[in-house]
Amino acid sequence: MKKFSWLAILLAFTLVAAACGSDAADDAAGSDDAAESDSGSDDAPAEEEAMEDDDAMEEEDDAPAEEEAPAEEEVDLNQGSDLTFHMITHSDDGPFWSVVKRGMDAACADVGVNCVWMPGNNDPGQMVSDIETAIGEGSAGIAASLPSPDQLIGPLQGAVGEGIPVYTLNSGLNDYQTIGATTHIGQSEDVAGQGAGNRFNDLGATTVLCARQEQSNVGLEERCGGLADTFSGTVIDEFVGLDADQTEQINGIKAVLEANPDIDALLGVGPVIAMSGLAAAQDLGRDLIIGGFDMTPELLDAIEAGDIAFTVDQQQYLQGYLPIVLMYLEATNANQAGGGQPVLTGPGFVTPENAGAVKALSAEGTR
Amino acid sequence: MSSTTTEEVTDRVAGGVVDADERLAYRGVFQRLLVQPEIGAFIAAIAIWVFFWAVSVPFGKASGASSILDVAASPLGIMAVAVAMLMIGGEFDLSSGAATGALGIVLVLLVRDVTGELAGAGFNLYVALFLSLLVALGIGWFNGAMVNRTSLPSFIVTLGTFFILRGAKLGFSKLIVEQIQVGKLDDLEIFAEENGTDRGYGFLSKVFAGEWNRNTHIWEGRDNVYIIAAIVGFALLVLGVYELNHRRGKGNPIGFGLFAGGIGLLIFGVLTLHNTDDVSGNRLGAILMFAGMLVGLVGWSLARFDRNENRTFGIPANASQAMVAGLIALGLAVFWALRLDPDNAENISWLALVTEQGARAILFMVFVSAAAVFMLISVNRARRVSDIGGSALLAITGAATIAMAFFIRSESGTHKFRTGAFSALLIIGGLIIVWSLTSMLFGKRNKVVAGADRFGLTLVGLGVLGLLVSIAARLLWVTQAELDAEIPRTIFSVRILWFVAFTAVITWVLRRTKFGSWTFAVGGNKDASRQVGVPAGRTKIQLFMLVSFAAWLVGILLAFRLNTIQASTGDGEEFEYIIAAVVGGTALTGGYGSTFGAAIGAFIMAMAVQGIPSARWNSDWRFLFVGTILLLAVIANNYIREKAEASR
Repeated sequence: MKKFSWLAILLAFTLVAAACGSDAADDAAGSDDAAESDSGSDDAPAEEEAMEDDDAMEEEDDAPAEEEAPAEEEVDLNQGSDLTFHMITHSDDGPFWSVVKRGMDAACADVGVNCVWMPGNNDPGQMVSDIETAIGEGSAGIAASLPSPDQLIGPLQGAVGEGIPVYTLNSGLNDYQTIGATTHIGQSEDVAGQGAGNRFNDLGATTVLCARQEQSNVGLEERCGGLADTFSGTVIDEFVGLDADQTEQINGIKAVLEANPDIDALLGVGPVIAMSGLAAAQDLGRDLIIGGFDMTPELLDAIEAGDIAFTVDQQQYLQGYLPIVLMYLEATNANQAGGGQPVLTGPGFVTPENAGAVKALSAEGTR
Repeated sequence: MSSTTTEEVTDRVAGGVVDADERLAYRGVFQRLLVQPEIGAFIAAIAIWVFFWAVSVPFGKASGASSILDVAASPLGIMAVAVAMLMIGGEFDLSSGAATGALGIVLVLLVRDVTGELAGAGFNLYVALFLSLLVALGIGWFNGAMVNRTSLPSFIVTLGTFFILRGAKLGFSKLIVEQIQVGKLDDLEIFAEENGTDRGYGFLSKVFAGEWNRNTHIWEGRDNVYIIAAIVGFALLVLGVYELNHRRGKGNPIGFGLFAGGIGLLIFGVLTLHNTDDVSGNRLGAILMFAGMLVGLVGWSLARFDRNENRTFGIPANASQAMVAGLIALGLAVFWALRLDPDNAENISWLALVTEQGARAILFMVFVSAAAVFMLISVNRARRVSDIGGSALLAITGAATIAMAFFIRSESGTHKFRTGAFSALLIIGGLIIVWSLTSMLFGKRNKVVAGADRFGLTLVGLGVLGLLVSIAARLLWVTQAELDAEIPRTIFSVRILWFVAFTAVITWVLRRTKFGSWTFAVGGNKDASRQVGVPAGRTKIQLFMLVSFAAWLVGILLAFRLNTIQASTGDGEEFEYIIAAVVGGTALTGGYGSTFGAAIGAFIMAMAVQGIPSARWNSDWRFLFVGTILLLAVIANNYIREKAEASR
């Protein structure tokens, strides 16, 4: 009996998810059995029936909101607590992604759902298999970043085909519509790079080195591309070494600086590489206008001290937090945010003027 | 070659030496040198340095050298040396990369107070160093004991340790400081101002992160020392090599003089190429190099081969035909190269067959390849050793290198690099030198006089010392004139000394101590070594502990340099250590290798990584280039070693 009730719940969720998806997805997922006719006309009753069957399960659930909430919402919240969302990113658990993960953890605690963090460590193959795992586990929603779209679009379209709501985050702005994702949550890398370019113009730079810490990362290349769009001088775009070996990175930047004596500004498209740029400039005794992307406490200290001019803040906490909330609302309330447009989380700029305030929040790991 | 022919025995008797047992036969200095695992890497390192030096201005400067040394020294070099030692002992340590970051984090966390403020409960740095060393040795012991106990491949065991360390780094960092990085070590300076004690930071930061700022060390007499030491060193080196050769009954002063003069011309040509940025200068450099190679080859043939056979200029008839063909091809190549218009970059793009420039480029490549092939065939015939396979391999290598040179040129953003059409000639020159070195050393071996090497070796040693003094003077001091020209600030870090010292100690241990012999033994055959009384299990554990000791040293150097250590530091770098060791001649199968070679391997990798941005080559091609260089280095190493062993 108990087994059966679990099954019923699961079935109901599948159908809800299918109903919320596109029309095509509806057909694909709704071919199971008689239960379909129940939910086909109206989702909510089917869910409630399923939930009422299962009393034993309630004991396990100890979300505080549950007791205060009225009866009808209680049902919804219970459903929520059974939802499992997967966040599949190319995270390397670096400074940036740990804030995203904190955002995700906070959102999951706030709305009371289960979340699975799947860091791909910059390996598209790993991400593909993570997506397949999530589909196999009957995920209620997948949020994924798209560092290399070509390999990931297919599997994510598969997820959409299975009726799973898909959101893209961080990178993937150009491809979320192809996938059929509800929306993209992130910063437009182009726009962020363009903002940095304008800032370098204001600061009077003539030649900027756009230093990248990864190769074949579309997002990073777009940042440098955006910089080239608006910057009035010359942009030199180089991969200079991975974050995992900062010694190599610093010396790689030194080599580029020495080969190009004209360079008077540097944009590190990550927080660690921005610090490496500062170290390289100090080693050579060159006075550069340095900009960075994202934040670490160290970088904020350097901005406060005036060694680094600014950093582009894409407020990545939102990129962890918002997908969970939006997926939750889509799963439980059939809401679709964005209206087909991306939800932008940035760019904001941290400069010596506001560094102090941001630093306090960053120390808590939420900025 | 290993069997003693009647001819050789006769020659030996004629030379006054009779060997009863060929295993005890005297072997010449060069042969003994060339069976060393690192020699191929050493030659490759010089070739790569010369290549980048010729095509890139900043690469050859002191600031470029400081960057290369910095990348080569730590983490790469120190770890590569330790990993090579372990690999000679027949094991791998995939956790070595993650361990560097982990031990740096351990050190910083021990000094830091867990509440995030440095004031308070942190340990004194000396205590922290000791405790983190214990942790390091514990990791090594764990790896070794697990490998011994389970008899699983160390590849699997240390892969587990790698993931454990990686997870622990991230987990503990976040748990304790709620960041994925720990720092900052230099906060101890602020702490010292407030509390009157720096917990040892002031002194230790000099020990682990001290710097020599070249720009504040002015020495007007530097250039005199630099030039005199270089000339004296080079002269002593040439004399020493001649002496060694002469003693082996190969004395032909004219031939040898021509050979030395040819090398001198080649060097002068490279110098010209380096110092110029215009077309005519490049031409002059190329002509000098070409002439140098020609004179050197003829001189070598004269010096190397007996004249009492049917030879012209000391070259056998069948070889001279090939040689002439090669020279014609090379001449045509030079002709085409001279006609390339380096300023007209659009027209020289790779595979642009429709344009005249593209066609010329390809013709040039074809001719140079042909030249290389003919030259190689000729010298092989002259050696009277049928070795078509080896020659073909080198020829293909040469052709591939030239193709790469053109590829680079069409992709390069600088005039200097584009005008480096002759860098192709340079590479060929280098290859032929390498080849002629090998051929001269593995040709017919006879008339050896035992025990007469000391004087020649002393001369060579003094020559090398002179060259080192010259280089050091050039690198470490600056003249006022240079400062006035606003040269970039150049810093040499104490990390380089740590690297040199570590390499020296480990190399001494490997070659001169019982433990070193045991390492070779357990790597060669563990069971057999145990049966002859080698404590195999204990040796392996100690080797793993050596690697984790190196990781500890690197972690400390990183902590003092960067002040903040990322949790991801070192992840995935372990393969670079292994590659550096392999490039340096260490076998993946164990029982064979060199720690000194691993240090050279680290240099090769550092040069490959630094050379590309220095030459302003498009960084998208970086790994293609790095991979090719590593492959060439390994192939050259293997080739030379096979030759050397075959001639035993």
